[in-house]
Amino acid sequence: MNIGLDVGSTTAKIVLLDKSKIIRSKVVSSHNWKELLDTNTDEHIIVSTGYFRRKVPHSAAITEITAASLGVRYYVPDAQVIVDIGGQDTKVIDLRNNRFMINDKCSAGTGAFLELAAHYFNIPIESLGKLHSRTQRSAQINNTCGVFAISEMISQLVAGYTIEEVIHGIHEAFAHRIAQMIPPTNQVVLIGGTVLNTGIVNSMETILDSTIVVPPEPQMINAIGAALYREIRSYSKS
Amino acid sequence: MTNTIGITALIPPELIYACGHRPLDVNNVVPESSLSPRSKLCAWTALWRDLILTGSLDIDSLVVVAGGDCHNALVDGQKVSLSGLPTHYFFYPFDTNTQYLHSQLKSLEGFLGGIKDHKMFKYIYRLKKKGLALEKQRVNDNARASDIFSALICFSDMQSDPYEFENLIDNIPDTDVEYSSRVAMIGVPPIYPDFHKVAEEFGLHIVYDELPYEFIRLGGNDLQGLAKSYKDYSFAGPIKSRIKIINHELQKRRVDGVIHYTQFACHHTLEDEIFRDYLDYPFLTVQGDLPGPTPEQLKLRLEAFSEMLEIMP
Ligand code: SF4
Repeated sequence: MNIGLDVGSTTAKIVLLDKSKIIRSKVVSSHNWKELLDTNTDEHIIVSTGYFRRKVPHSAAITEITAASLGVRYYVPDAQVIVDIGGQDTKVIDLRNNRFMINDKCSAGTGAFLELAAHYFNIPIESLGKLHSRTQRSAQINNTCGVFAISEMISQLVAGYTIEEVIHGIHEAFAHRIAQMIPPTNQVVLIGGTVLNTGIVNSMETILDSTIVVPPEPQMINAIGAALYREIRSYSKS
Repeated sequence: MTNTIGITALIPPELIYACGHRPLDVNNVVPESSLSPRSKLCAWTALWRDLILTGSLDIDSLVVVAGGDCHNALVDGQKVSLSGLPTHYFFYPFDTNTQYLHSQLKSLEGFLGGIKDHKMFKYIYRLKKKGLALEKQRVNDNARASDIFSALICFSDMQSDPYEFENLIDNIPDTDVEYSSRVAMIGVPPIYPDFHKVAEEFGLHIVYDELPYEFIRLGGNDLQGLAKSYKDYSFAGPIKSRIKIINHELQKRRVDGVIHYTQFACHHTLEDEIFRDYLDYPFLTVQGDLPGPTPEQLKLRLEAFSEMLEIMP
């Protein structure tokens, strides 16, 4: 049995894997990560990942990039490019040549940007997807810089666009921003908690020419990857 | 009279020594600086500019490499020049033209007051041979990349005292290194002084540093010899020649991956896409800005790159 423990900046996830089969998984908020482990959990079977990977019990700690690469292959063995949209950064991993890019310099193209928009409208972030789906029309938003985007959103509301249309526009701007990081490919796997927002997935589908794949429970992928790490390592070159 | 000549990028140090002066590569002071530059694009040029303007660097004149290498230096160099410091501009040929480079070296020689001591060419040549031996040491896993990098990076000016410098390079320890992957660094050297040590902590053995290697690869015994050799300076030439030089070194050193270090607001960052197309290796691009310890986000990239090289098929 192997345990993958992914403790990120906002949530902590655990996955128990037995012979490549998921037997248990759970999500809590990051500061409650201890709830995920029983008092008698054997540290030797835990592989940790995420921002706090070295602060929690582990036999090995791996980066989110490696965890995502392994975890995605669990569901999508022929995956080409992974886009992991996190709260604080977005990572694009090209599995065909082991190359990756991370955007963590500004909030544009990360979950934090959407949070800013939700906060402005005073709505829970989970409802962005639903509002997006209520309209096909989109208010054009050019900026993904958090500060400038808010003023653009205001101008579009003043110009008569509905909140739904502005949210549609926000998602499209967000998707455009991420699309700039994606290399040419015919398939993209989207993972990370932000992908639960169907508005984002929808906008990515509209913008990219590639097939978009969203694995089940996209927020659990890195924990699955961490759990798989111990198995896979024994096949690696070292 | 022996003067200290500031240089803003690679200028044949043998020529400066032969003219009876001592070079001081202003970049070698930048990583240790804690100044906050007033107006900046690239931190390298902004910092040496401010270090000079605030009198923190003891130099008598400045040679600005303004062509074929760094465009920002042309502007920051002029800011220094306006302050009254004697300044000379040096341009590498874009088309690797030997005659053009010869004329540039001739005019630089004029600025430096003419060659007085031909023996220095031979002496520096001997030092560079020692540099090449050091390089071999790390390629053969007999020295830590961080030690070798610290030595090679100083070959641009030999720390303004080649005799002392020779002592230093003679005392680099022989150490068997263990690592998980061999990587190459291309682009400008990282602005973070601990970068090579950090890479080592993640199991990355850096077996090639593009620019520092140029410092020891190029040389000559007179102006004509210098022109013939330095015309191939990878960083100043056309990208096609540069890719050829880099690819040759990558193969020779059997690297598993390539790290392209780029500097915020440096035009060389635009070359990243070209390298990704023409260098067929796992490729990591990192970017730095102001000097200091290697930032955490950058460490994450190095760690992930190391893991990828190690476990991915
Ligand atoms: S990093 Fe680029 S802009 Fe900065 S000094 Fe070097 S070449 Fe010039």
